[in-house]
Amino acid sequence: VSRKRMIPTRAPLVLTKGAVDRIKDLMQKHPEQIGLKVGVKTRGCNGLSYTLEYVEKKEKFDEEVLQDGVRIFIDKKAQLTLLGTEMDYVEDKLQSEFVFNNPNVKGTCGCGESFSI
Amino acid sequence: CGISKGALSFSQMRAFHSLRALRSTTSKLEPDSSLLKNSGQLKLSDRCVERLKRLGEGDDAHLRIVVEGGGCSGFQYKFEMDSKINEDDKVFEREGVKVVTDCDSLEFIKGSTIDFEDELIRSVFVVTDNPQTEQGCSCGASFSVKF
Repeated sequence: VSRKRMIPTRAPLVLTKGAVDRIKDLMQKHPEQIGLKVGVKTRGCNGLSYTLEYVEKKEKFDEEVLQDGVRIFIDKKAQLTLLGTEMDYVEDKLQSEFVFNNPNVKGTCGCGESFSI
Repeated sequence: CGISKGALSFSQMRAFHSLRALRSTTSKLEPDSSLLKNSGQLKLSDRCVERLKRLGEGDDAHLRIVVEGGGCSGFQYKFEMDSKINEDDKVFEREGVKVVTDCDSLEFIKGSTIDFEDELIRSVFVVTDNPQTEQGCSCGASFSVKF
């Protein structure tokens, strides 16, 4: 009798269609980069804020998420903070930004840019 | 910090109105001094102009900046596209693009630069180098005023 039970693994980060399209677009413009890296930084009036940068090569301990052909890396220090987060891309006439819907967040700043967990 | 958008405490509200009243009386006292005139300008950065040119193609829409109560530092900037110009509006024009703000809002932002920040994580219009502000929220969306 096999004792092994399959535990469904949840992706640490889920991308919406908008985000996937935007990242694909960015990757086409920068073909030398292999993906984007999401991290958190101590900044803002509520403690933490998200960072986003291009990645040329995967670093040790960074978590890799592959969805619909785009590659996202999660910074090793941000993995617990970001677990279960949905990454979206919102665009209108005046502004466009990546939005993180993070279930671990306890409070956010008025502008939504910084948060605490 | 931690005050949600739109929720303005009574004291803030009162401060806002008394400041407006104070500002309007002082500007009535010296309506046309050249110093006031110069500091009452808004600068538009190159990136802002370039972005607005692209946005406004084909119609005569302009960028409207409104200052309202809210955010974690007391006041916040709001940007919107608008196609009409009201009576109490001030228009700032550079290379054919227009930025419009009403008199009351201008009191809070005069002397500052309107910029367009284009970053990987977000691209937004921002008000930078505002001489009226004491300290802002780190994201730049809200600010408090020097008395």
